[in-house]
Amino acid sequence: MASSIKYPEDNARWFIEGDKFCLITNVDSDGDTRSVSRKQWKAISEAVTDGLLLHYYAEPNNVISINDELDLDNTMHLAVVDYVKKCLYMDKAGNATDANLIATSMQLSNAHQLKFDDAVKRFGMRKRDKTGGSRTLKSVSLM
Amino acid sequence: MAVHKISIKQLVSRIRQVFPKAPENYILNLVNDALVEIGLYNTKPVQAKMSTVANQMWYSISDSAKDSSNNSLEANKVFRVDLMDDDGDYIQIPRLIDKNILLMDASSESALETPDDR
Repeated sequence: MASSIKYPEDNARWFIEGDKFCLITNVDSDGDTRSVSRKQWKAISEAVTDGLLLHYYAEPNNVISINDELDLDNTMHLAVVDYVKKCLYMDKAGNATDANLIATSMQLSNAHQLKFDDAVKRFGMRKRDKTGGSRTLKSVSLM
Repeated sequence: MAVHKISIKQLVSRIRQVFPKAPENYILNLVNDALVEIGLYNTKPVQAKMSTVANQMWYSISDSAKDSSNNSLEANKVFRVDLMDDDGDYIQIPRLIDKNILLMDASSESALETPDDR
């Protein structure tokens, strides 16, 4: 069932507060603009099946068994290896009693942390971005 | 053309080159921690449909929220919202920067967080 809103771009707005999504409109269930201007913007007046289409970044699926696959682009797989090694080296440093072993483990942990940060945060967008080719500027027509 | 991927089995074997005694369950837990961390950085764009409810202002997008097909949303960052128009087409609607709206609809109170008894 379609909604009664003819111009959603003018008659609807959204925002997010915490983990709540807010949808407001300024039209009634017939699609006419509400007459009281002070109280124009409030909840949508009608139930519309599949009325909202949300585009968002979701969390990757977790892994449960050793036979699962990583729910990530393959460019990010090595970053997962770095993350696990970072944690294990840190654990090793925490359990060791030899000062040299502690220092070496912490250095290796930091090295893997750096690789993970570079792959995910610093160069992550460049790695994940599937846009290629040179960029061009379209100049304004003076005619 | 095959794409090179690292399976969990391969990942565990790589880790065990350096940490031969690392328990499998612990490695899987750390992999899940890594996925949560990586998930914060725009790795998995998803589109989901939700149904609107008459006179309801607030909709949950928490970890347990479901879309209209009863699949978990698992949303991290919403970057675009479309609303169905009277032709059944999805039209992008603007995000409100100033959230200080005058009217907070009481009829949608059930979707709001209320203080718990603890």
